[in-house]
Amino acid sequence: MIRDSLKLGRASAAFALSATITVLFNTFLACAKDAYQPLSRFMASLAGHNWTTQGLADLVIFFGLGLIFLQTGWAGKMDPRRLIFLLTAAVVVAGAGLFVWYVLV
Amino acid sequence: MKLTISDVVLLGHAACGILGTLAALWVFVEVLNAREENARRIRWGATAVVICMCAACVLGGYWYLTAYPAEKAIILKGPWPSAHNVFMETKEHLFFVTLILALYLPIAAAEQLDANAMARKMVLCVALLIVLTGMAIEGAGAIVNHGVKVALLSGN
Repeated sequence: MIRDSLKLGRASAAFALSATITVLFNTFLACAKDAYQPLSRFMASLAGHNWTTQGLADLVIFFGLGLIFLQTGWAGKMDPRRLIFLLTAAVVVAGAGLFVWYVLV
Repeated sequence: MKLTISDVVLLGHAACGILGTLAALWVFVEVLNAREENARRIRWGATAVVICMCAACVLGGYWYLTAYPAEKAIILKGPWPSAHNVFMETKEHLFFVTLILALYLPIAAAEQLDANAMARKMVLCVALLIVLTGMAIEGAGAIVNHGVKVALLSGN
């Protein structure tokens, strides 16, 4: 009988943690630039539009942190169930948080 | 029918978004029954998700930066300003969440899913989140579209 493994691979765990952090960063940045216009203008000055800068920042953070976590192996030491929960919770917080933010502001 | 570049870009953006969402649903269904035989199909599905979502991002981003400002002005003068203030704002930022999930999916799907319960759970979770956020974004797009329509119909 073949037993299922209960561990995520190094890359899978590293980029799961990186995706979780990036999703939360993206949500925070969207609210921050909406609340503080100088930040929005600064971001617009970097890549022509604040939305473009935000997208590029998300990509840099996702791949940058993913590679760092892959090198260090931190994420691989975490319980995979916790990683799955954190990623799901981050996406739920992002979706609901963004919607509520734009309804209220 | 006169079709402009802007129309093609906008419709291409929506089409790529829905194809990416459907590809994520395909991955979800395949992973429910993950075996050695369908491992290649799962990886192809995950690759299709990332290609479609990247194309949706490039097309949507181009349209958002070049054509949307005029539509935004129309929406804000019309009876549904929240089509922009709430739904477009949420959509344009939630899309990055879907894009990050789409970029992660092929990494998670590269594992030996038929012999790894946690990897299967991760891929199921990520694929389902792509489907749910993708559907929410498509719905928001329809509301933005309707915001322009009701503004034009009300004479603004």
